[in-house]
Amino acid sequence: MKRSIASFPSLVLSAALLGLAPAGAALAQGATPEKAAVCAACHGERGAKPIAPNYPVLAGQYANYLERALHEYKSGDRKNPIMGAQAASLSEDDIKALATYFAEQDSPLYTPSVGDAPQQP
Amino acid sequence: MKSARWGAIALAAPLAFLLAAPVQAADGNVEAGRVKANTCMGCHGIPKYNNVYPTYRVPKLGGQSAEYLAAALNEYKQGNRAHGTMHAQASSLSEQDIADIAAFLATAPKHP
Repeated sequence: MKRSIASFPSLVLSAALLGLAPAGAALAQGATPEKAAVCAACHGERGAKPIAPNYPVLAGQYANYLERALHEYKSGDRKNPIMGAQAASLSEDDIKALATYFAEQDSPLYTPSVGDAPQQP
Repeated sequence: MKSARWGAIALAAPLAFLLAAPVQAADGNVEAGRVKANTCMGCHGIPKYNNVYPTYRVPKLGGQSAEYLAAALNEYKQGNRAHGTMHAQASSLSEQDIADIAAFLATAPKHP
């Protein structure tokens, strides 16, 4: 009984520290944003391997495009029930941190070209 | 034994449906897509090309799946993604055009 009362202030303190942690993580360069784990659940580890064929690769995409897309999901300019719900919970700092993080990851993405006509073997 | 087997089938059937569902759209012809994708390259074929008002880079398309590319084009076409130019472009595309372009872009050569 006495013990649980004694630990109460330390609980409050650790809760306060946890509250501060995400802001600090978002500012640190190269750190993985806490919310990136939610994205990875569908877009794959580091956003490089989506779990469904109709989900995009995020890894290596331009940061300001990813930022734009998240803003559009949030505002409803892009209508998608899953992404709309996800983006609604993101702050401006979250969006910046996530876009920067995914743009920096190793990527299968590239700028395409039309190339040459088919080559016969 | 028998009931265990039926149980496995009952579990697998909805899974198979889930896996098969998103794939149905893409029956594109890569070579037809190569020709139809010419217009796309005016912006998407230039590394770090910028959209204007507002300014942000047009996305890299190479390496995305045909399924995603087709889904995105359909969303632009239907107005579920707000972008004037992409809506105009996608609106002129038939279902077959979209499948062809998506099939080509998913396997397109890299910008030299």
